[in-house]
Amino acid sequence: MLGAVDSCTLAGFDVRGVEVQADIGHGDTKFLLVGLAATSVKEARERVRSAIKNSGLEFPGQRLTVNLAPAELRKEGSRLDLPIAVAIALARAGKKPPPHTAFLGELALDGAVRHVDGVLVAALGLRRLGYERVFVPEADAAEAALVECLAVIPCANLKAVVDHLLGVTQIQPFSHGGASAAAEPPATEHDLAEVHGQEEGRRALEIAAAGGHHLLLSGPPGAGKTMLARCLPGILPSLELEEALEVAQVRSLLGELPGHSPLDWTRPFRAPHHGVSMAGLIGGGTGLAQPGEISRAHHGVLFLDELAEFQSPVLQALRQPLESGRVTITRSAGSVSYPARFTLVAATNPCPCGWAGDPIRSCRCTPGGIDSYQRRLSGPLLDRIDLKVAVRRVKLETLASEPTGEGSSAVRERVVAARRRQLDRQDCLNAQLKPARLRKLAGLEPASRRTLERWAEQRGLTARGFHRAWRVARTSADLDGSEQIGEQHILEALGYRLQDVAA
Amino acid sequence: MSRPEEAGLRTRGRWPPPEGPRAAIVGSRRPSPYGEAVAEQLGADLARAGVIVISGLALGIDAAAHRGALLGGGVTVAVMGTGVDVVYPASHAQLAEEILAGGGALVSQFPDGTTPRRHNFPARNWTMAALSDVVVVVEAAQGSGALITADAALDLHKEVMAVPGSVFSPLSVGTHGLIRDGAALVQNARDVLAALGATQEVLDDPLSAPQRLGVAALPGRDGIVSHLSDVLAMSAAEISRKLQLPVAEVLGRLTALELDGAVRRHHDGYVRALRKGKKPA
Repeated sequence: MLGAVDSCTLAGFDVRGVEVQADIGHGDTKFLLVGLAATSVKEARERVRSAIKNSGLEFPGQRLTVNLAPAELRKEGSRLDLPIAVAIALARAGKKPPPHTAFLGELALDGAVRHVDGVLVAALGLRRLGYERVFVPEADAAEAALVECLAVIPCANLKAVVDHLLGVTQIQPFSHGGASAAAEPPATEHDLAEVHGQEEGRRALEIAAAGGHHLLLSGPPGAGKTMLARCLPGILPSLELEEALEVAQVRSLLGELPGHSPLDWTRPFRAPHHGVSMAGLIGGGTGLAQPGEISRAHHGVLFLDELAEFQSPVLQALRQPLESGRVTITRSAGSVSYPARFTLVAATNPCPCGWAGDPIRSCRCTPGGIDSYQRRLSGPLLDRIDLKVAVRRVKLETLASEPTGEGSSAVRERVVAARRRQLDRQDCLNAQLKPARLRKLAGLEPASRRTLERWAEQRGLTARGFHRAWRVARTSADLDGSEQIGEQHILEALGYRLQDVAA
Repeated sequence: MSRPEEAGLRTRGRWPPPEGPRAAIVGSRRPSPYGEAVAEQLGADLARAGVIVISGLALGIDAAAHRGALLGGGVTVAVMGTGVDVVYPASHAQLAEEILAGGGALVSQFPDGTTPRRHNFPARNWTMAALSDVVVVVEAAQGSGALITADAALDLHKEVMAVPGSVFSPLSVGTHGLIRDGAALVQNARDVLAALGATQEVLDDPLSAPQRLGVAALPGRDGIVSHLSDVLAMSAAEISRKLQLPVAEVLGRLTALELDGAVRRHHDGYVRALRKGKKPA
């Protein structure tokens, strides 16, 4: 007697189909599980046996072989519990499952179907593989229902699933609330209206939001660097449906999606502590790598406070994702790739004690100390940051008065308009323009070109620096609603190159 | 003429230097733009008047003094706290070469190969005072190494002089203290030359006349420059508030002025650029 159902296994966002075959043959009472199952899958035997018994179903008293095909593919996790149990039940009943159907879920010993991580990723992958119906844990049904054209059968317990398949009782498919774009931009916790002064920082934030540029804020402790950084998500447009789905997929893999409302339209904001490990920031862990902070910040903001305190190798590892928007991590169990297109906001003190350049408190660092501190920051990572701004402390008497700057919603309107111009023109944000497309799409007026070249010569700009200033100028022009990059835009962009000063 | 304190020095370049008065210019390693400009100007004017400019090849005032002397076409001597073959900081390798090329010298009381050691520098400062006829301090915060040089000069009965600075600046604490204690105030190179007992001829040299450090103003820039100070840096945000202009525009205009050399940017903001006094015809 043979039963077979389909399921899948995940390697990052990569979904591979798995066929679970159960064969009940003659011989001693034995339960064999074959097909390159990791320890977590081997444990399924005990859970499946108990769950079947405790659901009032009969566990075969003969030789039972379960095969997970293809055999060369390594399988991990507990999401194969349900398909194994269903395959056994169907083998006993001599039935076939409905076509184009897949099963996912962990079993409790009493037969209840429990939550598993990554249901959204799995459901999207299964849809791509041509499946039309999935059986998922009840707790994860809303997550799977985000996928279009996929019937979702919520499973409370094994008995209900088997009864449904044998035609005893029917489970109602999960009714789609469907995924629709957010009507209202979400209320933000931090509003620019509460920021005192900091005109330069605010403007740099607006440009960063509009063009997707990375930003470095440098200033003494308490100058408001963190406050500015936290305002960034609030001036970004809400996530698009596709973006929200990608954000949700990362959370799904980490098991962090809330069951009731899995889609969140606000941009992620991640602020890992400077003690974060390589695995924590970039992704990693045992077996297959889990997404790290940079992937959790996908389509949002990654804020690194006290940049100079981060371990150097950790910062260096940011280079690849900063360029490509993806990160690929290889472990013994295989290589996985996660999206990591975020806006980096870094904050740093100008020197170890923090007070260099402050008009009131004097700095107590030696020139050598400042030099080595700055050097720790310099190099390839800083070379990839487009905007560098000095943030000064606001005078105390100003703090007591009402702030007079614009609120986040007004700034967001300009940002949204500027982003739309970019997407209409080039299908990506300015920060992601390659030099060849930059030349084609962001023509410089003769005066602008002369100015940029003059500066490059005067300050010894690298080719990379040259293009960075050009991209920022493109964004400044987009914020102005101008198709041409005027001299003013280039000049402003060069004003955010704090690093040319230090030399 | 060989002076007793010159015995046992390791030297590179022309040593002893040509006959003539010697002035040490010392000060903070992290000066304000003002201090840097003053040191450079004094170095240039003294060198043009035939004074040998002595300093310590350190960052900040020292380097500005050496550079000024070279600009003035004179001889300058670096008294080093390391071996004469170890240039510290390494970024001054080029400057050291220029000093040698200008007919000057690098000298040190330490054996070749001595690396920078904290405790060697006070001894170096003492040597610097010993080799000079007068010590001019430009910007020194409290506890600055330049004050050690000044103390040594007093012990050796050499003249100590100081350049005043802004009373708002912590870099003026040391120099103003010296003036309070009786150091002569330096307004320009003429004061130093007088202290050196230079001849009337030298004093009448137009090159040593007081030089007004002019502000490079440019027409048609809406007078942003006139709102800037030449000592205290102002941020673009402050200027935009003052002028009621969008910060993006202010930043652009400041960059344009920076390109033209009319303003200088520091980490904490912008200052007016100081233009060197023009060479009279």
